[in-house]
Amino acid sequence: MIRWRLAMRLLRRNWQSGEQRILVAALVIAVAASTAIGFFTDRLGRGMANQSADFLGADLALVSPRPVDAAWLDKARTTGLQAIETLEFASVVVSGDELLLASVKAVQDGFPLRGSLRTAPAPFATDTATSTLPLHGEAWVVPRLLTGLGLQLGDTVEVGAQPLTITRVLTFEPGQARNPFGISPRLLMRMADVPATGVVQPGSRLSWQYLFAGREVDVEKFRAWLQPRLGPSHELIGVKEGRLAVGSALERAERYLGLAVLAAIVLAGVAVAMAARRYSERHFDMSAMLRCMGASQRDLLGLYLPQLLVVGLLASAVGCFLGWLAQYGLLYLLSGLLPATPSSPHAWPVLAGFATGMVTLAGFALPPVMRLKDVPPLRVLRRELLPLPNRAWLVYGAALCAIVAVMWRYTDSWPLTLSVLAGGIALTVLLGLLALLLLFLSRRLNTRVGVAWRFGLNNLWRRRRGSVSQILAFGLTLMAMAVVALVRTDLMTTWQRQLPAEAPNHFAINILPERQQEFRAFMETAGIATAQLYPMVRGRLIQINGTAVREAVTKEARSDNALNRELNLTWTTRLQQDNRILSGHWWQPEDTGKAKVSVESKLAERLGIELDDELGFAVGGQRFSATVASIRSVQWDSFRPNFYMVFPPQVIDSFPATYMTSFHLQKDDKSLLRELVARYPAVTVLEMDRVIEQVSRIFRQVTLAVEYVLMFTLLAGFAVLFAVLQASQDERLYEGALLRALGGSRRQLRAGHLAEFAALGGLAGLLAAMGTECLVWMLYSEVLHLEYSFQWRVWVFTPLAGALLVGAAGYRGTRAVVERSPMLLLRNQ
Amino acid sequence: MIAARNLSKRVTTAAGPLDILTDIGLDIQAREAVAIVGVSGSGKSTLLGLLAGLDLPSDGEVFLSSHRLNDLDEDGRARVRGELVGFVFQSFQLLPGLTALENVMLPLELRGDQKPCEQATELLGRVGLAERLQHYPKQLSGGEQQRVAIARAFATEPAILFADEPTGNLDKVTGERVIDLLFSLNRDKGTTLVLVTHDEQVAGRCDRLIRLESGRVVADVKEASRA
Repeated sequence: MIRWRLAMRLLRRNWQSGEQRILVAALVIAVAASTAIGFFTDRLGRGMANQSADFLGADLALVSPRPVDAAWLDKARTTGLQAIETLEFASVVVSGDELLLASVKAVQDGFPLRGSLRTAPAPFATDTATSTLPLHGEAWVVPRLLTGLGLQLGDTVEVGAQPLTITRVLTFEPGQARNPFGISPRLLMRMADVPATGVVQPGSRLSWQYLFAGREVDVEKFRAWLQPRLGPSHELIGVKEGRLAVGSALERAERYLGLAVLAAIVLAGVAVAMAARRYSERHFDMSAMLRCMGASQRDLLGLYLPQLLVVGLLASAVGCFLGWLAQYGLLYLLSGLLPATPSSPHAWPVLAGFATGMVTLAGFALPPVMRLKDVPPLRVLRRELLPLPNRAWLVYGAALCAIVAVMWRYTDSWPLTLSVLAGGIALTVLLGLLALLLLFLSRRLNTRVGVAWRFGLNNLWRRRRGSVSQILAFGLTLMAMAVVALVRTDLMTTWQRQLPAEAPNHFAINILPERQQEFRAFMETAGIATAQLYPMVRGRLIQINGTAVREAVTKEARSDNALNRELNLTWTTRLQQDNRILSGHWWQPEDTGKAKVSVESKLAERLGIELDDELGFAVGGQRFSATVASIRSVQWDSFRPNFYMVFPPQVIDSFPATYMTSFHLQKDDKSLLRELVARYPAVTVLEMDRVIEQVSRIFRQVTLAVEYVLMFTLLAGFAVLFAVLQASQDERLYEGALLRALGGSRRQLRAGHLAEFAALGGLAGLLAAMGTECLVWMLYSEVLHLEYSFQWRVWVFTPLAGALLVGAAGYRGTRAVVERSPMLLLRNQ
Repeated sequence: MIAARNLSKRVTTAAGPLDILTDIGLDIQAREAVAIVGVSGSGKSTLLGLLAGLDLPSDGEVFLSSHRLNDLDEDGRARVRGELVGFVFQSFQLLPGLTALENVMLPLELRGDQKPCEQATELLGRVGLAERLQHYPKQLSGGEQQRVAIARAFATEPAILFADEPTGNLDKVTGERVIDLLFSLNRDKGTTLVLVTHDEQVAGRCDRLIRLESGRVVADVKEASRA
């Protein structure tokens, strides 16, 4: 108890003297970054799940060609879930003499369980969300159905034997986003009206969809119960499977945030280690004195460890609080992305924040502080006596354990953690050697520079061991900052490129070949730029290398959607903007008319299709085959027309084709659609603007969040900067005082220090540029899947920023050398 | 109270092994005041360090009260120091972060005393610093700092006090005052005093004088025989 009191008194004194400020600041940054991001990813994850649920209309959906056992629904309800049933079927809808194949969806009260339907009072008018459903004898339809049958609201259509009055225009339906193409126009009706239609007969092609919603734990419990009972014809869709097209962007953002936080924590750790080392060195005398007074090693630990513990707990608490506050900042930035009434944050980010703080402290601060117990008591008589240095394995081992623990938390993968760690160690060693080489080279330069620079560079060389570790520390700091800043810029550019302001938000399909020119002219007159018009031939993939496709593929691939429906085949000479050839070659003029095909990479992978395979297709009654000439990656979330199978010209031209294109339409120009549909009744317009608007809003918000997190990394970088400067300050003060006592002028000393620090920063910057180039290349190709290009800016700006930052901070930090009386400094030594 | 048998200290230097102390033997009785004198480099401080158990000899034995220091590990020697020994140093060795009062309380707190504050206040009063209790070392003059160090050394009422050049950093007048104080407290408390100094005048006030040259005892004289 007494020792505890003494420890706390020493802590208070140390705090007042400012000894531990950098240590505490660094720790606070690490914990705040970790906590804020913990809260953020937690909320983002839940926010995204909610949004995906809105798109799915449920938290979990089960699709089945037959009604499922009623006990399954009972089980869901007893588990605490809401459960409803919907039915989808294709049916010809009749109005007078007009017929149209429609996709009918019959729903019950409660539909949708998540999200809402949107309807409009007239085609292409402003829509609103609704919580109601069509009444008995009513139907809601999409504009296409109205134009297709030449109907208006209030008219009646017949579904089978049941007449239904059309009361509203349906503009959005949860679940619809999963497959916007290739669907017949939708008609929404009551489940209770289905028997009267008489269309549901044994043998009819039906799709039952069971929707479930409830608490996350209950959903998971039910899913776990249900999964083993499912047959091959059942399909279970959760919010993850139903994720939006923005999935890849968000995934990258999450990885980026993880990376930025990791960088912030490791940097803060380095700052903690440096500050702890200085703290330890400044307590050698005290430890020796206490040893003289009879304190045992345990007594010393009993004095220092509680201080460390309290500092750790307090700093972690402050960090958690700041992280919690920062999270509100993120919440504000992401207000539209997260649910309107955010559920209260979980407690685990706070726990994880505390753990991060304590692990960082234990890993980085414990070894130097433990050294205090080994101070020889004889130091009271001979000040030059030092405790044995910590064994290298202890220092680096502890730090590595801390880094591994933190990294594993963010990557959640051992192989990734260990490979990144091994790479990191190799890089550090390499950069250390490089730093020594740079120092050596700069010394060679020494004879060609002015007095101040010579003084500065000489100083660096004289203390080369310290200088190398400082260059390394600054270099790694600048590197972390540069990598995080660079990745941010490139992520944003990628997103912007993916969804520019003028991204197409409408698709027009079924444009008849003979009206193609006219359509293009119509759009041009209206001032709407369209993408290329792609021909579309509907055909099935039936053979791979002469074997029937179902036998040629794996069992899992047999149920692949691409095998169970007609694919849109196209031909073109120009590779789509967002496509990349992964293997093989794109069409050359000599390929025209040759039976070749380019296949989308993911489909090829699923079906095991390889380059030079022979694919058999059936279009209508005709069959033909083509050799795979290239495998192409496609960016499906670019909202441009994209195809699984692309042929060279003059291979499938002879088959009946329609054309499709995409275009961007401003909100105010929506009325144009009415004119378009009236003039080209066969054309189907798919409105994607609502989805795209949402996607681009998500991008904008995630961009803000990314910038916000960058701040933590920069702060941690600055903490390292100051810790390093502080670590060498005592020595510099003493040397400066001596030089001044020996007649050095203030100006000379100042210029010398400035030169020394600028050189230190510049060399560190150069080192950082090399490291950044390596690391960014690795990150882009392995983790973030971005396009890598040579980063010339890094080579210019990092050394410059290093020289400026370190020069300015060092200059400021050693002000005392020139400002305080040399007498005072020498006497205090 | 203190005994050294065939004490030697050898260190390894770049130029080969170097003997700092050679074959020292001495007995110091309880309440005796002994001065160890010699020129710089004669091994005075090394001997003090060995006698106080701050270091171990290369050869020979040291006994402090009934403890054979060679048998103890560093923590064991620390325990013995805590029980028996007080120190006063040339450079005062006050903890800069603690006030005068807290510096004096420190050894009492380490020992687990219940009322360290009262004892420390009283001692500081005795060394004439009753008005300076809450001052930090850097707010005190050299003489005042050494007086705080003396109060701290006597706080635990040690049986033995080791003083290493206690006036080395002080001017003559202040030095004399500090020595007066040291001897008066020493007398009152009945402490055994081992004092390293190169000031013959200070040494002259001790009961016994041991002179070192090149690590060997060249003279060991009692006050009576000096007179």
